[in-house]
Amino acid sequence: MLTLPNRRIRIAAAITLAAAIAILIALVFWAILAAATEGSVGSRVDIPHLLRMTSIQAGLTTILSLLVGAALAWAMNRLRFPGRDLVVGLFASAIVTPGMVVAFGLLSIWGRNGWINRASEALFGFPLGNPAFGLSGILLAHVVLDGAFAARIMLARLDAIPSARLKTGQSLGLSPWQRFTLLDWPALRGTVPGLAAIIFLLAFTSFPIVLMLGGGPANQTLEVAIYAAVLQDFDLVGAVYLAATQITVCSLVILAASALAPIPTSFGASVAPRWRDAGLARALQIVVLGLGLIGFVLPLLSVLLDGFSSGMDRIIARPEFWWAAASSLLIGSASALLTLALALTLALGRGATGSGPLRTLLGMPAFAYLAVPAVVLSLGFFLLVRQVGLAPSAAAPFVVVIANSLLALPFAMATLGPPLEAIARTRGKLIRSLGLSGWRQFISVEYPLLGRDVGVMLALAFCFSLGDLGVIALFGTQDFQTLPLMMFRALGSYRGNDAAAIAAILLLGTIVAFLALPKLFERLAHAAR
Amino acid sequence: MVKSALALAVLTGLFASPALAQDLPKLTIYTYDGFAAEWGPGPGLKAGFEATCGCEVSWVAADSSIGTLRRVQLEGDATEADIIVGLDTAIAGEARATGLFADHGLTLTDLALPGEWTDTQFVPFDYAHFAMMYDTDTMTTPPTSFEELIALPEDIKITIQDPRSSTPGFGLVLWIKAAYGDRAKDIWAGLKPHILTVTRDWSESYDLFLSGEADMTLSYTTSPSYHIIEDGDDTIKAALFTEGHYPQIEVAGVLKSSDQQELAKQFLAYLVSADGQQIIPHTNWMFPVTDLGDKLDPAFAALPQPEKTLGFSDDEIAAHGREWIDEMLAAIQ
Amino acid sequence: MLRVEDLRFAHPGQAVPYQFSLLAHAGEVTSVSGASGSGKSTLLDLLGGFLLPISGEITLDHENLVPLPPEQRPLSLLLQSDSLFDHLSAASNIALGLPRQTSKAQAREQIAAALAEVGLDGLSGQQAATLSGGQKQRVALARTLLRARPILLLDEPFSALDDETRGVIRDLVRTLTIRHRWHTVLVSHHADDVEALASRRYVLRDGVLMAG
Repeated sequence: MLTLPNRRIRIAAAITLAAAIAILIALVFWAILAAATEGSVGSRVDIPHLLRMTSIQAGLTTILSLLVGAALAWAMNRLRFPGRDLVVGLFASAIVTPGMVVAFGLLSIWGRNGWINRASEALFGFPLGNPAFGLSGILLAHVVLDGAFAARIMLARLDAIPSARLKTGQSLGLSPWQRFTLLDWPALRGTVPGLAAIIFLLAFTSFPIVLMLGGGPANQTLEVAIYAAVLQDFDLVGAVYLAATQITVCSLVILAASALAPIPTSFGASVAPRWRDAGLARALQIVVLGLGLIGFVLPLLSVLLDGFSSGMDRIIARPEFWWAAASSLLIGSASALLTLALALTLALGRGATGSGPLRTLLGMPAFAYLAVPAVVLSLGFFLLVRQVGLAPSAAAPFVVVIANSLLALPFAMATLGPPLEAIARTRGKLIRSLGLSGWRQFISVEYPLLGRDVGVMLALAFCFSLGDLGVIALFGTQDFQTLPLMMFRALGSYRGNDAAAIAAILLLGTIVAFLALPKLFERLAHAAR
Repeated sequence: MVKSALALAVLTGLFASPALAQDLPKLTIYTYDGFAAEWGPGPGLKAGFEATCGCEVSWVAADSSIGTLRRVQLEGDATEADIIVGLDTAIAGEARATGLFADHGLTLTDLALPGEWTDTQFVPFDYAHFAMMYDTDTMTTPPTSFEELIALPEDIKITIQDPRSSTPGFGLVLWIKAAYGDRAKDIWAGLKPHILTVTRDWSESYDLFLSGEADMTLSYTTSPSYHIIEDGDDTIKAALFTEGHYPQIEVAGVLKSSDQQELAKQFLAYLVSADGQQIIPHTNWMFPVTDLGDKLDPAFAALPQPEKTLGFSDDEIAAHGREWIDEMLAAIQ
Repeated sequence: MLRVEDLRFAHPGQAVPYQFSLLAHAGEVTSVSGASGSGKSTLLDLLGGFLLPISGEITLDHENLVPLPPEQRPLSLLLQSDSLFDHLSAASNIALGLPRQTSKAQAREQIAAALAEVGLDGLSGQQAATLSGGQKQRVALARTLLRARPILLLDEPFSALDDETRGVIRDLVRTLTIRHRWHTVLVSHHADDVEALASRRYVLRDGVLMAG
């Protein structure tokens, strides 16, 4: 495309990085296959059944999450109320909170012994029933996690609709429906393929939630089978085979999502005029928001209440807690910065090319990582580290940082990708005609316009890395403990109160990060204008 | 990138192995993370053994006990591990078959275990029977057998664990098979409507039970002791079943590849000594394997014990374990 | 007659409020010029209803416009860019100017007539994104025709156009203003646009609007 500035270095850097990620994943598999000396026990898994169940579950999760996310973003975009920023922060924090924490938060609201059923029992004398287990439970938990994330991303796009466009629309007196279809939908459309792919992959590979709320082996994912193949059967060839199956299915989804070429969204700083929708639409927005608060915010609130009412003093009196907190902060910060570098490299490269296949190729590896089962990654990284000749315990922090960055990468791409593409397409001609260098394009055009998104992305990556340690399960982590690990260890030793306190602290940190980082970076970027 | 490089540098400094005491022989022990956690038995055992051995004990914690075995298998002869602590009798057969473990050489005759201990490679260090827990506040008359449990109304819910990812989950499969033999799949089919969910780990099942989502959960006969001792709460109890209970016995073994054979065997001896055993009940919430007499907390001593202990040999488990898991999965599918 | 009387407004943190007073007659183009940052956009936003004044009045033939929300104000907007929705066809963009209950046949007829009046016959099916700058402004003007509002606010509408197109669109604005008796308010810092179109001129200096 002639309208795009010619950015060979960006494209080359992105290709190199994408190739490096693909090679890393290939190495993980190779390391496992190389270690698998004994003959395979033979897979005992009914793969077609698992694939069917998992696809149904993940497909429903994706559709519901996108619908719920769009509805929430729509309501939040229109409504202004005190504490709105806090609610936006809470929405975003759901996806990075350890799944277990959210699941228990959900249960304390929706479960048999939860607030809703107890309230109903007190008011009407009978409970309302228990939707929290089985397929409905999985969907509920996933939609809370993923729908809130979708809402956050979509809201950012809605808030970025240029004010000139809003003025035109408002002065034309568009109906709420017209406003949605003409102004909102074109802005949202660009986010749908990326979000759909992410949510599908998350749901497809979701392990603890599916097992905990799934009700039984009927609602299981391939990941469980892979876990069993690695740890129980020690059937490494079988595990690689299953993992490859999972990656294949996931790649098809990613390809399909990429084929729906994203519509470049318009991009502009938004000082939204006060344009309220009238009557019914506004009432609907308030209802949606109310339901959103009940469904999304109450469970998280219950986690906070639970944590602060039990054992908080005991936990913060432990020096181990502070060590773990310091480790978490360091790991989170390092991963966030690495994620930023990776995501910018890939997204700038993607934005700079007009070639469809190349764009898909540049996007795939970022997602592919999400499709690789955690236990396979853990095993592969462990073997790789040993092959390189490093002591696993010394390598653990680095592996965690790298693994978490890669894990957060698709989310970072979903945050930074659409605005960067929009800039490349709407300002491309101008940049090209001015003959700006790539660096100046970044410093004076992209960075100032991206500030808030960079903040959101850093918050995402930071909190993600607080939350995940699955990748070093085998590494031997005696002296290397982070808050989530400490929480799971407490939970595994009857110490539910300590775990609740740590969960509350984690959640609080997450919310603070989501409130503070976007603001901070918006201000920093503003200073660069 | 400069910043992240800095952060990484700090990270390495922070997490580098703690400075080693010079020249002391080092004993590296693989275990599961709950065992090595600060509230687990790890720190106490380390301090107790180091006081006499003139050595340094280093715990390396994987996320599960089977993970420790797999790690050693992957590392082969190059492994740093001298000992694995925390395997159990259900996987002992498979562990033995790897040929990685040396004989312990200890005389283990006066153990307080259900049944005789004849294993020459693995040393038991704690045990408890699997049992269904209930809360006396919500369940006044607990079932006294699986068949009674099945006969309860369907809204009486239990949580259990996936036998493919959880030790107690596999334990329950063995328990029901040992108690019912060919009728096991009927028992599973009967339990199916009562199963609220099958979790990956013990902790999730147990938390669901504690938060009131389920009426019963699969745990250990010793679980009530935690609530009595730490929370002063005596409402959590284990239901005793007339068909008998299956025990989990946790074991430790020395690796053949270790160059600290003597020291490692000394550690195992310490582990089953009265000094070592005294640490276990309050930290791992399991029964000690030696009779501690008065030194055992009354909360443990007073726990009701099953009259009958069920069991399978290593060979039976190795030969049929997978088949039994498949039978269970098919029955509750 | 459109009358703005001692309209005051201050952005957050602005010490001295803007002060606007202006008269615009039907069938005439009234211009507001001034350096950038002098408050032109603020005035437009106040007229359009996107900002609410601290005090003062906007009246059209003695009817006060200040309490009306943007969509109810008797005016149309033509901005420098972003006036059209890129993904819609020219006709669909124009159709947004019609009352909702208009029948399809009627709409088609009116759109065709409006396109003809702005000199764009036969382009109705084309997607807005593919139109030239001049064509886009013509489409926006065609939509204004259908809306038939007595006030037209123009915000630098010619800036993105080449000289030749600029002249043509300017003429079109003048013709339409006279023909439809619009009160056209042109905000521009281009002296030649002002020269060519405006019969009444205002200049913004230090936040105060003065007859020029």
